[in-house]
Amino acid sequence: MEQKQIKHTELTFQLIVESSPNAIVLVNKEGKIAYVNNQTEKLFGYTKVELVGQLVEMLIPTRYSENHPGFRNTFFTSPKVRSMGVGRELFALRKDNTEFPIEIGLNPIVTVDGTMVLASIIDITERKKAEERFRLVVESAPNAMVLVNHEGIITLINRQTETLFGYERIELVGKKIEILLPERFSKHHPEHRTSFFRTPQTRSMGAGRNLFARKKDGSEIQVEIGLNPIDAVEGQLVLVSIIDITDRKKAEERFRLVVESAPNAMILVNHEGVINLINKQTEILFGYERSELIGKKLEILLPERFSNQHSTHRNDFFKKPQTRSMGKGRDLFAKRKDGTEVQVEIGLNPIETAEGQLVLASIIDITERKIQEMILKKQVELETKNKELEQFAYVASHDLQEPLRTVSNYMQIFEEDYLAHLDDDARKYIHSVNNATKRMSTLVKALLDFSRLGRNSKLAHVDCNELIDNVVSDLQTLIKRTNSIIHVAEMPSLNLYEVEIGQLFQNLISNAIKFQEKNSTPEVHIYSKNVNGKWQFSVRDNGIGITPAHFERIFDIFQRLHATAEYEGSGIGLANCKRIVELHQGEIWVESTLGKGATFNFTIPPLTI
Amino acid sequence: MKKLRCIMLIDDNPDDNFFHQRVIKKADAAEVVIAENSGMGALEYLKLKKDHPQEHPDLIFLDINMPGMNGWEFLEEYEKLDKDLQSRVIIVMLTTSENPDDRMKAMNIVPEFRTKPLTKEMLEEIINKYF
Repeated sequence: MEQKQIKHTELTFQLIVESSPNAIVLVNKEGKIAYVNNQTEKLFGYTKVELVGQLVEMLIPTRYSENHPGFRNTFFTSPKVRSMGVGRELFALRKDNTEFPIEIGLNPIVTVDGTMVLASIIDITERKKAEERFRLVVESAPNAMVLVNHEGIITLINRQTETLFGYERIELVGKKIEILLPERFSKHHPEHRTSFFRTPQTRSMGAGRNLFARKKDGSEIQVEIGLNPIDAVEGQLVLVSIIDITDRKKAEERFRLVVESAPNAMILVNHEGVINLINKQTEILFGYERSELIGKKLEILLPERFSNQHSTHRNDFFKKPQTRSMGKGRDLFAKRKDGTEVQVEIGLNPIETAEGQLVLASIIDITERKIQEMILKKQVELETKNKELEQFAYVASHDLQEPLRTVSNYMQIFEEDYLAHLDDDARKYIHSVNNATKRMSTLVKALLDFSRLGRNSKLAHVDCNELIDNVVSDLQTLIKRTNSIIHVAEMPSLNLYEVEIGQLFQNLISNAIKFQEKNSTPEVHIYSKNVNGKWQFSVRDNGIGITPAHFERIFDIFQRLHATAEYEGSGIGLANCKRIVELHQGEIWVESTLGKGATFNFTIPPLTI
Repeated sequence: MKKLRCIMLIDDNPDDNFFHQRVIKKADAAEVVIAENSGMGALEYLKLKKDHPQEHPDLIFLDINMPGMNGWEFLEEYEKLDKDLQSRVIIVMLTTSENPDDRMKAMNIVPEFRTKPLTKEMLEEIINKYF
């Protein structure tokens, strides 16, 4: 019965051993092989017969076999279940003398024949190959990779890690991963680590937070970290992939600064239309605070009538992103926080970022420009009108001159041939016709001059002392006849249309002499002063003066305040003066009290030749 | 003042021609005054010098503003004429044109530029200067 029981146990043992996928070798205290299973035959190339009874060292490469009996004896002094040669690489030797890597589990067994050791041998050739492949993949990765076990110990790093952190491989492997963290983060890191290993899954680390790593020299770099759990024989590991984003962050910061310092509003929008970034100018233009816009849909800045179609336009843009201006040919409007609209021009620039395709919209408030454009258009229209008017005046005066000359020619013939035959009345009539003709001729000529003012003249640097001297000497006859006294103060030199300014002074001085009470002595003062960078010239007289009601009218063409009989004139002198001053971009005005003389002032701003 | 043999007036305005003719006659400045009312007519007349050799102009007063061939166009054609057909002729512009462009142009082409109407004084001055 007992014999049978033993037999049965032996059989059970044999069955278990034979069904094991591992090679199993039973060795006694003397190191002799007591039993091997079929797997052992396959793995080592020996038959059972060749093995049983032999020293186990025949299965070990000679470089290890010398020390093996010593290990064997140590095992038998305190036999317990353990794996063999922890931390060392183990190899086995086949019959054909080839070696292969193995892992060995040792189990002491007490048998009738004494304590034996049951060695369970696993061929790890394939696993080693796989591990090597993995190591090579990690090594050749373009970024730093660190393999960490669940205790936070670094088991593998690649060359990139050495480069990035400045450590040698040997300085990192076997150390806690916290060696690579700035101190302010390392304290809480083990907790994060533990929580990762509780539910290991591929994810990026610290989503939304800025991550930093510490180099050997203590300096910090900003990083992005990917975590990949790996099930290994050694247990759960995590492969940490580290990207240095310091440069990217710097570039982002530079970009942000450029955008911030842009002279116009700039808005960074993602493909969903969400505002990512704005600058100070955007706050100013739209009246929103930064925090009120970031994270909001861009449509917040659009008038409702446009906002519906905007997502379509946006999608079109992202389908084929390229730098272009928005809504070509259309008038674009944006909406401020207070609801008012502003006409804008928008430039679109696609930007590739880590967060995907974005568009940088550059917005210019063109309200002012539109107004300027309108003013400019009006100005051009006005200039054209003015030119037309000048041309009209020129042609009209020229063509009027001709029949007028014919009239006066025939009047001359009439006087020469028939005056002698006429009575006094008739002669008086002829005289009147002649006067009227002469006067009309004067007016037409004046009109012609007026229309041509400044047409062919160029700016020149002029000494006004000389200029006024010349004008005064041209007026000598008039001055002598009227006993006028002319006082000229020190005058400046400046850029002027010389001929025209000469005419201007001549007009003003002769007016000053002309508009006087009979038998009075005309006294004219000419002086100048600099007012806010402009020269102001004044011609003051002691004449009849002008009532304030007429201060404006006197500068209009053909406006006369007095009958011809009293004071002669074409009514164009002051209109000419005004045009000449306007030609110099200056102003002309009169100050006067009726009966107490008048002062004509005009200004000339600095003009560039 | 020397009395010229022949003065030609070219002007489309018959009143001007009449008046200038009268001024020349009154001043006794020429034996004959030929008044043409177009540049074409004047050119035709000059080309037929052999038909009236005694009445070939010594002096021409040319108007600028004329319909059809204007004074400038006449001058271009005139320059193409035989020197013999041109000879002894001084061209004096006679127009109301105060256009400074016209004045500049005239000064480059002809020795004298005067404004209408022609007067006895003007005539004396010109003849004394050129004859």
